Amino acid sequence: MKGNKQTIIEAKNLKKSFRTGDTEQTIFENLDLNLYKGDFTIIMGSSGAGKSTLMYSLSGMDRPTAGEVIFNGKTITSLNDDKLAIFRRRNCGFVFQQIYLLDKMSLMDNVLTASALCDESKKDVIRRARELFDLVNIPEVTQKKFPSQVSGGEAQRAGIVRAVINKPEVLFADEPTGALNSGNSMAVLDVFTKLHNEGQSIIMVTHDKKTALRGNRVLYVRDGKIFGECDLGRYTEENKEREAKLNDFLMEMGW
Amino acid sequence: MKKVWNQVAYNLKKDRSSYISFGIIILITALILNCAAVLLVQVDPAYVAKFEKLNTADINVLVPEFRHNSDVEAALAELSGIEKAESHEALFLEATVRDFLDTDFAMNTVFYKLEDARTMNTFEMVSESENEVKNPIYVPLYICVVGGFQVGDEITYVLNGKTHIFTVAGVIEEMQYGNYGASMMCAYLPEDGFQALAAELDGKAVVEYSLTLREGADLEKTKETVSKELEKEGAMMLSCLDRQKVKTTRNQVCNLLILILTAFALIILAVSVFLSNFRVKNAIESEIVNMSVLKALGYTSGQIVAGISMPYAMVALLFSALGVGVSYAVLPLLASVLTFQSGFSFAVAFDFVSLAAVVGVLTLVVTFFTVISAGKIKKTQPIDGLRGNSGSKQSKRNPLPLAETRGNTQILLVLKQMFACKKQNVLLFLVCFALTVLVAFSGTLFYNVAIKPENFMSALSDETPDVIVYSENADVTALQNKLLAEPNVENALQYVTGSVKIGDKTATVFACEDFSKTRNDVCYEGKNPQKADEIALGNAFAENYNIGDTVTVKLGDMAKTFQVTGFVQSVNLNGELCTLSMAGYESLSEAPVIPSLYVYLKKNTDAAAFISRIEERYADMVSQTANAQKLMEEAQSMYMGITVVLTVVIFIVTVLIVLFILYIVIKSLLIKRRQELGIYKAMGYTSAQLIWQTAGSFMPVSVAAILLSSVAALVYMPGIFQVIFEALGVMKHSMEVSLGFLMLFAAVEIILNLMISIILCMPIRKISAYALIKE
Repeated sequence: MKGNKQTIIEAKNLKKSFRTGDTEQTIFENLDLNLYKGDFTIIMGSSGAGKSTLMYSLSGMDRPTAGEVIFNGKTITSLNDDKLAIFRRRNCGFVFQQIYLLDKMSLMDNVLTASALCDESKKDVIRRARELFDLVNIPEVTQKKFPSQVSGGEAQRAGIVRAVINKPEVLFADEPTGALNSGNSMAVLDVFTKLHNEGQSIIMVTHDKKTALRGNRVLYVRDGKIFGECDLGRYTEENKEREAKLNDFLMEMGW
Repeated sequence: MKKVWNQVAYNLKKDRSSYISFGIIILITALILNCAAVLLVQVDPAYVAKFEKLNTADINVLVPEFRHNSDVEAALAELSGIEKAESHEALFLEATVRDFLDTDFAMNTVFYKLEDARTMNTFEMVSESENEVKNPIYVPLYICVVGGFQVGDEITYVLNGKTHIFTVAGVIEEMQYGNYGASMMCAYLPEDGFQALAAELDGKAVVEYSLTLREGADLEKTKETVSKELEKEGAMMLSCLDRQKVKTTRNQVCNLLILILTAFALIILAVSVFLSNFRVKNAIESEIVNMSVLKALGYTSGQIVAGISMPYAMVALLFSALGVGVSYAVLPLLASVLTFQSGFSFAVAFDFVSLAAVVGVLTLVVTFFTVISAGKIKKTQPIDGLRGNSGSKQSKRNPLPLAETRGNTQILLVLKQMFACKKQNVLLFLVCFALTVLVAFSGTLFYNVAIKPENFMSALSDETPDVIVYSENADVTALQNKLLAEPNVENALQYVTGSVKIGDKTATVFACEDFSKTRNDVCYEGKNPQKADEIALGNAFAENYNIGDTVTVKLGDMAKTFQVTGFVQSVNLNGELCTLSMAGYESLSEAPVIPSLYVYLKKNTDAAAFISRIEERYADMVSQTANAQKLMEEAQSMYMGITVVLTVVIFIVTVLIVLFILYIVIKSLLIKRRQELGIYKAMGYTSAQLIWQTAGSFMPVSVAAILLSSVAALVYMPGIFQVIFEALGVMKHSMEVSLGFLMLFAAVEIILNLMISIILCMPIRKISAYALIKE
C-alpha cells in the first residue's frame, strides 16, 4: 500500500541476465519495485537500459533470472509455462510496438480470439468488443477488415481492444506509438487515457516524452536499477506544470 | 554457378531435416519401383534363358503308347512349322503325393526315365544325394519348395490306388511340367524303377512328342496342324502343353506382383511430387524477402529457381540411388516368393538399366515439378517481394467470421486455421486419399483371405469339398449312401475329373451329378449343365462359342455334340476346362465311369478324424481318401501369410509416408506461424491448446479424404479386384469389401494421423511469447 493505493505488482530482488557463451550480461539486479492498482506507470530509460525486459519480467511474459514477482498477492515467478499462460490470460493485456495482430484474421476476429479463453458468454463478449471498438473509434466496417487493409493507427487501436477485451488487471504496453505517425499516435494515446480514466491499471514502456506525459507515475531505469521516479499526477490536456516537472525529472536522470 | 551453389548449400543446410524426410519418401518410391523394374526386366529373360538352356520344346504332346509308331513321329517332324521332333517313353496318370504340406496332393504326373537321351526338355540338377538311396526319384523344385521335401526324404506316391515309397535322390529344374498352374507335374525315375512301375501301371504308358518350331512359325497354327496330324494318325492327345501356356501360368504371380508394385510406387511418386510442390511454394512464401533481395542485387530469376530446385533434384538423385541399392536386399526375398509359385529359380542380378531408369525418372519428375513450382518467383518484382508480397493473391475473404458464426470459438478457430492453409489442405487431402486407397486394397485383401477365406479361396480353386473318397469297386452309390448316413456329413456328390478334346484344344473336364449342390459355383455366365447333352465351357473357349451353340467333345474315340449352357472359370487350368453332367460324361466314356465322392462335412467337423473313421469303418469299400480341407487350409495359410505381410508392409509404408509428410507440413507451418503462435501465447493460450488447435486443423481434411477414399474403395474396389482376377483368369469372384473393416482401417488411420500430428506439433511448447519481442 502506498497511501490509499493498493499494490498490484511487487518485485523483490529481481535479476535478469543473458548468457552468451561464457559472458553473462546483467540487465538488472537486486531490483525492488512496487506498482499500484489504477496507476498509469511509465517506464523510461535510454536505449538498452532494460525497460522492456523489466516490463516483460513483471508481466509473466518472460522469466527473471532471480528474484520474485508477486502479482495481486500471488507469486508468478514459480509458475510453469502453462500456468503462466493461464495467469496472463486472466490478468494481463499486451500492446506491442509492432502491433502483432494475426494477419489472416479480421480486426474483430483478432479480438474475439483473445476472448475465446475467458468464461464470458460469446454474446456478451461480442457486445463488449463492439463497445470497445466504439471507444477506440473503429467503425463496424473497419472491424471486418484484415490488419493489412487498415492504417497502423487503426491496427494499434484494435490491438488495444484485443488487449483489454478480457478485462485485465494490468494493461502492458511496449512503445505502442513507436511505429506510428504523430496523428495516429495521438489517437492511440487518447485511448490509453480513456482507459486509465475508467480505472484501468497501465504499465507502459516509452522513450517519448509526449507519451510519458499520459502517465501519472514515471520510473526511470538506468544501470539496471530504478534510478528515479516522478509522480506527475493525473493527465489533463492543459497542464504545463506536469510537462515541466517531467522535463526537470528527465534532466535530473541524465536523459 | 558459384552463386547458385551458395544458394543450394544455404537451402540444404537451413532445412536439412525436411530434405531428409523428403529423401526417405523418394527412397521408398525408388525401392518399390526398382523391385518392379528389375522383375520386369529380368524375370522374362531369365525364364527365356532357362527355357532355351534346357532346350525346352515349344509343344509337348502326350499320346497313349499303343497309338505310337515311328511313322507318327516322322509325320510330325515333316509338318510345316516343325523344326525338330523327339519322342520319349513316359507314364502318365493322376498321382497323389502323401504329406505334401502335411496333406495329400493329387496331380496329373508324368514319370520319365532319368537316363533317357534327350536333346529337348533337358533338366538341371539343383541338388542331388551324394549317397545311393533306396527307390530313388528325382522331383521338380516346386514339389520341394511348396511340398516341403528335401533330398534324402522319403516321398510317398499313391498310383492307381497303390502306395509307392520313393526317396528324393535329386531336385531338378525343368521348364515344362514343374509348376502347379499347368496342372501337370513330372518326376524322373532311374531305368529300373521306371520299368518296375511301368510293369505295374498297365495302360498308363504314354509317348511324349516334343516339338520345336521353325523360326517365325505361328504357335497356335502349328498346334492345330499337330492336332490334325495326330487325329489323322489315330493318336488321341492326352495332353498338349505349349510354351506360351506354361509361361503364362508360371509367371502369373510375378506379373501381378509387378503390377501391384508399380501402382504402389506411382502413388507414392505422385505423393512426393505434391510434397515437393508444397515445399517449394511454401519456401517461396516464407523466403520471398530474401529472394527479392537477391533479385535486387542482380541475381536472375533462373539462378534463384535453380537455387530452389537443385536441392530437390540432388536429394531425389541421391535417395533414389540409395533406394535402388536397398531394393537389392529385398529382391532376393521377392525372387524366393516367385520361385514358390513359378517353380523355377531366379537369381536377381544387379541391373544398371533399371538403376538408370528409376533414378533418372524420379530425378527428372521431381526436378520438372519443382522447377515449374519455383517459376512463380519469376513473376514477382523485387519491390513487391521486399514488401512481403509473393505475388499470390491474398485472400480478402474471412471464412467463418467469429462474431457472426455460431458455435464454440475455439472450434471455429481450428476451422479458420484449416481454411487459411489451402495448399496444405490440398496436399493432405491428396496424400490421405491416395494412401487410403492402398490401405483399403490391402485391408480388403486381408479381410477376404484371413477373415472370410472362403471368398478368396473360391476364386482361386475349383470345387472345394472337405474330403475326397475313392471307391474300391464300381458300386459308388452304395458307398455314397453309407457316407450320407454318417452323422457329420452334409452331402456327398459323385464327381469325375478327366481330360477331353474340344476342337483342337485339350480341356480338363469336371462332371458332377448335381452342380447346384457343389460348394464353389465356378459358373460365371449362364448355367451349369444339368442334362446329358449340356456343357459349360471354360473361359478359354468364351471367344469362340456363345451360350446356345453346339460343340463337339471327344473322349478317346468317342465324340458327341453338346449344347453350351454357360461358361466356367479356373485359375489353374488357363481357362481350358469344361463341365458336364454325370450322364453327359458317361455317354462320352467308352469304359464304365467310376466317380470319386466329394464329401461335404458339417461345420467344425475335423476332416482327418472323419477320414480315420470311414477308412476303418468302410475299409472294404474305400480305396483311397484325400483331406481336401487340410490342403485348402494349407493353401489358405500360405496366402494368408503373404497377404498379412503385404497388408503390414503397406500399412507401415503408409504410416511412414504420412509421418514424413506431416513432419514436413508441420515443420513448414511452425516456421511460418512462429510469430502467430507467439502472439497466441502472449494472449494466454497454453502450449497444449495450440498443439491441439494446430493438430486439429489437419483433421477435417484428413478425415474427409480418408472417408471419401473409403467410400470410393467401397464402390470401386470390387472393380479393381475384377481386373486383377480377370488377369488371373477368374471371371467371377466373391471378394467382399467390408464396410465395417474399411471403417476400422479408416478409424485407425485417422487416430494415427492425429497422434502423429500431436507429436509433431510438440515443438510449439518451445515457442515463447517473449521470443516475439526479442525477434
